[in-house]
Amino acid sequence: MNAVGLWLVKTQTIGTAVASVNVTGAFSSTYDNYRIMVNIDAITAGGPYVTLQLGATTTGYYYGAASVVYSTAAFSGLASNNQASFNRLGPANSGSGGSLIIDVLNPNRAYRTMISSSYADFNTAGSSGYGSGFLNNTTQYTDFTIGLTSSTMTGGNIRVYGYKNGQS
Amino acid sequence: MTNPNIQIDDEIREMTDEEYADLIASGWTEEPQDDREP
Repeated sequence: MNAVGLWLVKTQTIGTAVASVNVTGAFSSTYDNYRIMVNIDAITAGGPYVTLQLGATTTGYYYGAASVVYSTAAFSGLASNNQASFNRLGPANSGSGGSLIIDVLNPNRAYRTMISSSYADFNTAGSSGYGSGFLNNTTQYTDFTIGLTSSTMTGGNIRVYGYKNGQS
Repeated sequence: MTNPNIQIDDEIREMTDEEYADLIASGWTEEPQDDREP
């Protein structure tokens, strides 16, 4: 099975009008690194940022991203500086939701957790972006929470894959 | 007035007052924001 590198760890359906989705038992010592794919079908109102929190930790999140507007090629920076979550992972919106790909390195190791994330706003007036960051502690996590900076979300799914550590 | 819903795996329920306070402390706002860039 050496050809198989990604293993599905967990699939979570997003419910109706929830402010956050806590996914338990996602990270373990089986894999060092993970990919989280988030598909949010709809936002109740507005265009909030999607957030990611590990365990119950509410401090020490650092993140920077480059964002480019489709229609104008205007560039801007997004940043989280010692925030309560990775809280600038890209906007979702009430018309069409949002999708993200988030790679998470070392969440269950006693080492700093690093993330690499990309998003595409489905609104034609929106933007795409790519960024990375880290959580400044050595806590070993098993759970994470996908949330929003405002409003609530309905429908979609969250899938967690583990990157196989070895070749066996 | 009810608190927002929280989902933990497949369970969906209204947030407790403590959970809601934590959500507000995280920067979440009930009033919808439009954070689309720019």
